[in-house]
Amino acid sequence: MTARIRWVGWLCALLLLTSSAAMAQKNDPCAGCHKDWSKVLPKDHAAVNGGFQQCRTCHKTGTDGTASVNGFATRLHKTHAAGEHKLACDTCHSWVDGKSFGLIGEDANLGPVKKEDLALMQQKMVTWADGPFTDHLHAKAKVDCAGCHAKPVPVSDATVENPRCLECHGPVEKLAARSANKEFPKRNPHASHYGSDIACTSCHKAHEASVVMCADCHKLWKLNIPGAAQ
Amino acid sequence: MSKNEISRRSLLKTLAAGAAMAGGGFALNLAAPATAEAMVKKLPATWDETWDVIVVGSGFAGLAAAAEAAGAGAKVIILEKMPVYGGNSIINGGEYNAWDDEFHLRQKLGLGDDSAEAHMKDTIKGGDFYGQPPLVKILTDNATPTLNWMIDEGGLKLREVVNRTGGHSNYRTHTCVEGVGRGYTEALKKIAEKRGAKLVLNTSITWIWRESAEPDSPVLGVEVKRGKKTLNLKATRALVLASGGFSRDVAMRQIYNPSLTDTYNSTNHPGATGETVRYAQAVGAEAIQMAFIQLYPYAEPETGLLDAPAVYPFRGPGFGIVYVNKVGKRFVNEMERRDVVSRAEMATGMKPTFSIFNEKMIVKMGTKEEIESGIARGRFVKADSVAELATKLGIPPENLTETVKKHNQYMKDGKDPEFNRNFTKVMIPLEEGPFYGIAQWPAIHHTMGGLRINNDAQVLDIWSKPIPRFYAAGEITGGIHGANRLGGNATPDAAVFGRIAGVNAAKEKPLA
Repeated sequence: MTARIRWVGWLCALLLLTSSAAMAQKNDPCAGCHKDWSKVLPKDHAAVNGGFQQCRTCHKTGTDGTASVNGFATRLHKTHAAGEHKLACDTCHSWVDGKSFGLIGEDANLGPVKKEDLALMQQKMVTWADGPFTDHLHAKAKVDCAGCHAKPVPVSDATVENPRCLECHGPVEKLAARSANKEFPKRNPHASHYGSDIACTSCHKAHEASVVMCADCHKLWKLNIPGAAQ
Repeated sequence: MSKNEISRRSLLKTLAAGAAMAGGGFALNLAAPATAEAMVKKLPATWDETWDVIVVGSGFAGLAAAAEAAGAGAKVIILEKMPVYGGNSIINGGEYNAWDDEFHLRQKLGLGDDSAEAHMKDTIKGGDFYGQPPLVKILTDNATPTLNWMIDEGGLKLREVVNRTGGHSNYRTHTCVEGVGRGYTEALKKIAEKRGAKLVLNTSITWIWRESAEPDSPVLGVEVKRGKKTLNLKATRALVLASGGFSRDVAMRQIYNPSLTDTYNSTNHPGATGETVRYAQAVGAEAIQMAFIQLYPYAEPETGLLDAPAVYPFRGPGFGIVYVNKVGKRFVNEMERRDVVSRAEMATGMKPTFSIFNEKMIVKMGTKEEIESGIARGRFVKADSVAELATKLGIPPENLTETVKKHNQYMKDGKDPEFNRNFTKVMIPLEEGPFYGIAQWPAIHHTMGGLRINNDAQVLDIWSKPIPRFYAAGEITGGIHGANRLGGNATPDAAVFGRIAGVNAAKEKPLA
């Protein structure tokens, strides 16, 4: 009886020790790679001694539809989620499959992210962070995922309906006025023969090259669209 | 390799083994009870959505079916795979053949007589007698009431013109104010939505669920793809296929006519592909006359576009329009059907050909505004004399002058010794300017073949039996227009049979 209690006690102590050690390292996802911050920070950046949490005291990442002031999220995703230093999402993000997704060491849960959505999400974050597409144009205007998709973080088959786009870009008449063709008034992609039933995303693709759908049939009609392939 | 392929393969293996053991007494056929089709794809255990009537496609036929089914109290969904509604219908030429309308426009404009019977005769003859007379009769008898229905309930507005178009013996081709099919789709959509039908875009069907391969087993619903999600939708009363033709499906059209390669333009929207016909065949439907594929003779030569100007050469024959080739010579009887004109154009060996008309014809067949905007866009060419027009079009002026002079004389004589054109009193000679010309060339336009239906728009199986709770209407069906569809007959076909399908779909007793 006594021996058994003692044994359980030892086990608990061991668990506590290992988990607190893991906690210390887990709270600073940067520490594994970045021993010396001066190598990666701009020259005029204030000295950094603490870990990731210290970065966060200045650099906020919006979860309310606006990205942080100096593009912290775009810059980190650009350098960590793609290219030669491409890392797995859960290097920096706390993630429980199908339950929660946040930043290591922070409480905020951005939403229930499933394993099968992770790769796609990473890909979208990369084009959002940098590139020629509409998502990066939004990033530059300080609009993050929630800006278009609302909360929680979008899943793989998420789409954006017209009213959401029109909250910022509307009304349709305003868009039609901007794309009006004085010489040929009928050649207006925002006032076409499809009326207002057409989804904005028919042409304006967020995470891939935008295309002028009109040109599928009106092949001789040359029209520029922001976020097109380059 | 997908799970379906695996199961199909193992099924075939099992059957082969069985056949060997049974000494040839066992064969795979679609009518074998509860085997083939059910084994290929297992019926869903649960349904994501349940509707009374599911309509596939949102053109004339789909919207008309949805309107009638919803009007009879059914809960109706219209599935559209494209990001926009309307398919080919919304971009079609806006022409609607009916012997009469509630304003009696033909009579009012002094354009002679007509009847539903005459319309029927022309349609059957124009399709080389391949069209099923009872189906054609339904089309031509109901074209007028359905036109009036769209006017009265959908707010459709017609232009004050009636044309006599290729293959028709009378003036019966009506045009909506918009001059494109949108006039009719807006009217039909208005009626359908007013009656409670729901339209969803970006949703393509990926399978048709039929209970089993028993000949009298019903269609139960569809599997659809919406975004990356696969959903199963149950239809407690019926499924209506109204998903159009396959003009833009190069591989499919070449199965039936190998000469229709990808070098041909098409007037159709990009979604005009034939997968829905295949899903229907996979559950036992019969598809007929698939090789009858129509070219539109007057499309924009470079792109194949059927824009507003491209409808004028089609509308013009009844008022005296003249078709000439690149050297300014006539090459066909302008009153001919689309297949004849298209073949004659290609036989000139010179792309493109041209339609020539004058100022006086414009108000008879269209509007001055359309002509003006067409000139601004470089589609129509205008000149004060025939010779000047020829020069502008790149035609030897002396040839065109001679051709027009001869044709004017033929019209006066009432006899065309060259191409045997049949003249009428309302035709206008090309004497007074200004004159107009427009370039034209054939592009793939309409697939006359498709699912075989009966008079109630029920889809028939290979034994000529209706497949329970399964309807089809519009360009996806075959056997109505025959070998060649007369221009202006597609809209009444789709709207009339769409309505019939919708009425009958709603009448089905709901499944548990």
